[in-house]
Amino acid sequence: MSAMRLAMRLAMRLIMRLAMRLTPPGIALAAALALGALTGSAAHAAGPLDERGALQSVTCTACHGQAGNSRSGAMPIIAGQDAAYLKKQIADYAAGKRLSAEMEPYAKQVLNLGVDDVAAYFASRRREPTPIQAPADAVARGRSAAAQCAACHGPQGQGDVAKLIPSLAGQAPGYLREQMLLFKQDRRSPGDPALTALKALMKTIPDETFGDLAAYYSSLR
Amino acid sequence: MSVVTRRAFLRSSGLGLGVLAGAGLAGCATAIKGDFAPKKGPRVVVIGGGWGGATAAKYVRLLDPNIEVVLIEPNRKFISCPFSNLVLAGVRTIDSLTMGYGGLRKHGVRIIHETATAIEPDQKRVRLGEGYLQYDRLVVSPGVDFQWEQVEGLAQNQDKVLHAWKAGPQTVQLAQQLASMPDGGVFVLSIPLAAYRCPPGPYERTSLVAWYLKTNKPKSKLIVLDANQNIISKAALFRAAWQAYPNIDYRPASRVIAVDPGSKEVRTEFDKIRYDVVNVIPPQRAGAIAVQADLVGGDKRWCEVNHVTYESVKQPGIHVIGDATIGLPVPKSGNVANAMGKITAASVVSLINGKQPPSLAPGNTCYSWVSDREAIAVVNAYRIENGKVVQIEQKLTPAQSPLVAERAVGWTQSIWADILA
Repeated sequence: MSAMRLAMRLAMRLIMRLAMRLTPPGIALAAALALGALTGSAAHAAGPLDERGALQSVTCTACHGQAGNSRSGAMPIIAGQDAAYLKKQIADYAAGKRLSAEMEPYAKQVLNLGVDDVAAYFASRRREPTPIQAPADAVARGRSAAAQCAACHGPQGQGDVAKLIPSLAGQAPGYLREQMLLFKQDRRSPGDPALTALKALMKTIPDETFGDLAAYYSSLR
Repeated sequence: MSVVTRRAFLRSSGLGLGVLAGAGLAGCATAIKGDFAPKKGPRVVVIGGGWGGATAAKYVRLLDPNIEVVLIEPNRKFISCPFSNLVLAGVRTIDSLTMGYGGLRKHGVRIIHETATAIEPDQKRVRLGEGYLQYDRLVVSPGVDFQWEQVEGLAQNQDKVLHAWKAGPQTVQLAQQLASMPDGGVFVLSIPLAAYRCPPGPYERTSLVAWYLKTNKPKSKLIVLDANQNIISKAALFRAAWQAYPNIDYRPASRVIAVDPGSKEVRTEFDKIRYDVVNVIPPQRAGAIAVQADLVGGDKRWCEVNHVTYESVKQPGIHVIGDATIGLPVPKSGNVANAMGKITAASVVSLINGKQPPSLAPGNTCYSWVSDREAIAVVNAYRIENGKVVQIEQKLTPAQSPLVAERAVGWTQSIWADILA
């Protein structure tokens, strides 16, 4: 058997094996990689290097995940979040209004790198909902408790771009729970008039319900 | 001893065929002869599959799938140093910090589980086994090696006097030594002069050993012999945490110069201290390959690099990242190594494609546990100014808390995926 035919056979076997395991975009990527490498073709369009904001965003992925799709419970998913909302958070973190020891320095770094580019990059990524499976009973309890949240965050937790209200659907549950606690204790953006009503509402909700609400919103797609 | 045919070797390694497998090279050292995987297109070789190197390998593939990436790493498993102090305290298992390299192979990274023995910059090749690999650009992420000779008695007693400063078997052994220490015993921890890997690590270890002793062996004592003049990272937060641990006897400016496992004694310049369990974190330098390849400076310890591209100031075409570097105002941390890996990947891909490398600075996020359920953090942000990395700001969490600990767990999940998934 010629080396080329052997190589083709091995590559095809691998592609088939990968095809059985991977999601559709994964198949396309695997096939492109394998075939590209086989033929030595340089046929790839403007790569990620040239995409707006991509390189300025590499620091963020350590916590926020590839393309902003954090897979952890505590670190928020920022992929697919509205750019104006993301920009406001960076501005508030950097100004010390939204208090966070972790994010205040990084927000200043993002301002240095170009917040418009970074926000545009993450806003244009496809959101992959958190892989963390919430217990069904917590989701059910959260659903019944969520009626009061829907007024602003929408029936599917999709948020309201015009009012800078973030999407909660599929968000990391640990992050959601922590933010509700911080709102209740007035430790997130103290004194921000846009959050007065939200904080008043949070004060009426028992702490243990926050876990249920987080479970519910993290389960939405 | 069988010499594997070249075709069989290529099949088992995935090299040269442009396929994604890149399976390991178990027992294939005999096949590594000459130019055992001739270069067909642009190739980046990465030495070291830790926080920096594994990240660099993955991101070169993400940024340009036309570049072949070969990662040389002797260990078959990645074991996280961050969180390994929790293993000493019995809070986490080493298995929970252990991951495979399968994710990198899915990105098309070919992995060779061997040790790179030399770099030949003039020929642009890396030697391993009896052969060599050619590269267009080389990324060296060698981590640290220990300067055993700096502490008398250390070199010949490496099996008895543990460092547990590279997560792995020693972490588990030291946890066992701690667990079998009699109540009322003395645990001595020796901290070297900075610079060393993970500045707050020894103080996190102090906190967690103290927590373990307080919880399980309340009559025991922890003596910390610190060669530095004071706690060198998160000092106020650690001191606040240690209020809960009266079993800590912290002695700054106490450099350990000798250890004797026979008499169970360590010696400082002024004192002799008897121990039941000892943990000497030895002084450190860049990993051996960096010394071999003359990447280290006059001190023979650390590697000076360009702050934007991480290219060695001594050897063009070779980029050095992670704990082995010196001269940037950043700590030797896993998060920094991960950031350097991504920035170097962007530089290397840009240079291979004839483009200007981007001006990106790393960031540092560093969580430390102070008990089984509470943590603290320090974060440093940086920018590039006139081609140099300068700090924008450093910020500490106001106090220790379980919420910070939750974010610490979230950080590991995210960054381990950023490195390996």
